[in-house]
Amino acid sequence: MPDVIARAPSRRFELPAAWSVDVGEYVTGLAWSPDGARVVACTAEGRVTALDARDGGAAWSALPHPGGALRVACSPAGGRVVSAGQDGRAMLLDGATGTSVATLPSGGRAWVEHAQWSPTGAALATASQGVVRLWNADGSPLLETPPHASAVAAMSWRRDGRELAVACYGGVSVWSLDAVGMTRRFEWKGSLISAAWSPDGEVIACGSQDCTVHFWRVRSGRDSEMSGYPLKPRALAWDARSTLLATSGAVDITVWRFEGKGPEGSAPLDLQGHQAPVSELAFHPRKAVLASGGGDASVLLWEPRRGRKPLRYAFARDVVSQVAWSPDGASLAAGDASGHVTCWRVADVGAP
Amino acid sequence: MEDKGDTRVPVTVLTGFLGAGKTTLLNRILTEDHGRRVAVIENEFGEIGIDQALVINADEEIFEMNNGCICCTVRGDLIRILGGLMRRRDRFDRILLETTGMADPGPVAQTFFVDEDVRSQLRLDAIVTVVDAAHVALHLDDSEECRQQIAFADVVVLNKTDLVAPEALDAVEARVRTMNAMARVHRAERGRVPLDAVLDVGGFDLARALEAKPTFLVPEYPFERATVWSPEAGAYALTLPPATDATMSALLVAVDGADDDALAKAADRALRLFSHEAVERPGGAELTPGDAHWSLRLDGPRAWPVRFEAGGRYALFTEHGEYAPMLTRDGALAPVVATAEYGAGHSHDETVTSVGIHEERAVDPERFNPWLRELLRERGADIFRSKGILNVAGADERFVFQGVHMLLDGGPDRPWGDAPRASDLVFIGRNLDREALNAGFRRCLT
Repeated sequence: MPDVIARAPSRRFELPAAWSVDVGEYVTGLAWSPDGARVVACTAEGRVTALDARDGGAAWSALPHPGGALRVACSPAGGRVVSAGQDGRAMLLDGATGTSVATLPSGGRAWVEHAQWSPTGAALATASQGVVRLWNADGSPLLETPPHASAVAAMSWRRDGRELAVACYGGVSVWSLDAVGMTRRFEWKGSLISAAWSPDGEVIACGSQDCTVHFWRVRSGRDSEMSGYPLKPRALAWDARSTLLATSGAVDITVWRFEGKGPEGSAPLDLQGHQAPVSELAFHPRKAVLASGGGDASVLLWEPRRGRKPLRYAFARDVVSQVAWSPDGASLAAGDASGHVTCWRVADVGAP
Repeated sequence: MEDKGDTRVPVTVLTGFLGAGKTTLLNRILTEDHGRRVAVIENEFGEIGIDQALVINADEEIFEMNNGCICCTVRGDLIRILGGLMRRRDRFDRILLETTGMADPGPVAQTFFVDEDVRSQLRLDAIVTVVDAAHVALHLDDSEECRQQIAFADVVVLNKTDLVAPEALDAVEARVRTMNAMARVHRAERGRVPLDAVLDVGGFDLARALEAKPTFLVPEYPFERATVWSPEAGAYALTLPPATDATMSALLVAVDGADDDALAKAADRALRLFSHEAVERPGGAELTPGDAHWSLRLDGPRAWPVRFEAGGRYALFTEHGEYAPMLTRDGALAPVVATAEYGAGHSHDETVTSVGIHEERAVDPERFNPWLRELLRERGADIFRSKGILNVAGADERFVFQGVHMLLDGGPDRPWGDAPRASDLVFIGRNLDREALNAGFRRCLT
């Protein structure tokens, strides 16, 4: 008879927060500076605050988007922060001081819902309603797309920063900086709500309004669908090796394995630990360690290949709205609905 | 279904054509000191802006699903905007959402039931449609959107009544009620209606289905004409003029008195009898006044012997008003002592109408549930709203249901107690087949 040892959850599995700071309202965006020195958060109030990654002290705070900020991103090249909001603008801010460097107009009053730096930091994409605008790092315009079939739901850069996948109602369009135009189109009759381009550039995965995950193999254009989600799979995350795709859309996390003949015909990994639907997912920049945030305010760390139970758990103050790894993968920050940003030290979690 | 623990934020959807007066009503709600914190989402261009309102400059986005099911069609822009607003939910208690003048309320309403993010946080309280009393007749004739907005409404605000003559106003209201027998109609000048008439209506709240005892019980008659004679006991003949219809529903009942009230009581009785299966009566077949609903054949001889056991007043209720019936005895015409016309609204030949069903006999749930489900599955695209209170055989409680297109919600409600048990249903939709609905429902009785 095997030894069965009942074990209560031990303190060593709970991560103590390094710091937790109130930035005012619902955290709508969260990003690390490329040197890992700062965490920048934006809120539903429209405020953008840069926090010192060591202790959470405020380096600067500005209110560039009265009425609500929707996104914030730090340039991988350093120096610049982009923020976007319901005031119909995206703003380029000085990363050191928060002062405004340039205004990127949307051409109207409509919300600017997306702002993403290309992985190299050479270009920046913003989206307002159905129009995507590509900019140079200094804020000079590069390309403005015609309106897509609906407001842009999600954007994802290819790792080399030369192409951008744009998902909305009716499918995915791929826009190229080199061709200065659309180079690929993946049709789908339905409303896509999220997009994640695998780091190896082979697969574009999208969550859909009809509670499925749809994906395309970019080279062949062949598509597949994963169904059976009770909720909309809004959060998607690829691991660094492009073999694991973690998806929300339930209380449990569903992880698909893109290896061998999979994920078609294979059963996904089912990660159980949250008590409410998963809201955020992010893979470690190098390790196969997944961070997840949930509606139950918990932040869990997993190694999906090694087990179905979380490695560590931690708590934010409210529904987790953002999760972001530091560039070196040694820290994890989360934003929540109460307006708190919390940071944990996680260098020792997971196999290297 | 709402319960006391429902903490979701109520949303009132305000529809109506451009110029109907939505913005005036919105302005009043925003400026009036009513102690409620209302977040307004304004989505109309070309009208005056409102400072406190969240003005959304977003295009209407109708998202159909891959499965092609129209009941899954939602408004993508609303999902986004409401999601954004809910991040600041501590700042308001309710939301007033103005749609554009041309909006189809179907996908708007469905968004509150189909999209999980919306459904979990927000509750559709009611659809309020503002109508310009002076111009609505014109819009009703040319615009499907206008007809849909009235058909979907829980509340119709008949606005600008000061610009319309009283008779014209009555005619407009009658027309609105023909189309939507379920809505409460409020007349207003410059959007002045009590706020309670617009907020906290509970139009989609099953627990309040009874409170909003629908106006469909202000009967919507299945007949257009009553002809009253005062025959003596004995044998008569009923004749009808040449007709384009092959059959016509009719019935003959005694009228207890010479006043309008007596005729109204007879009409109510006729209304109930009309819901019974019609018995076919070709020309020549004898008709006996009483409790039978006939389908008179008009494509053959159009004369029927009638035997009155006792003298007195009798009224013949006929489905069509254009065929004047004659009663003769030995070739002599019996004088018509009174006539009445019903359902004036039908003269517009509306494509959007309400069908109300009232039935005292109990419903067999084993038959009713599949019938309703099948009906909405097949005809749900044309049935905008449905609502009902059911007298279910063997159940102590009332059963209530409500539907938007094919989406259906239902459950038991409070006990009947000493109240008279009866089922009341209403269907609002396009090209509804009144007879088929009645017949279908009747097959579900015990």
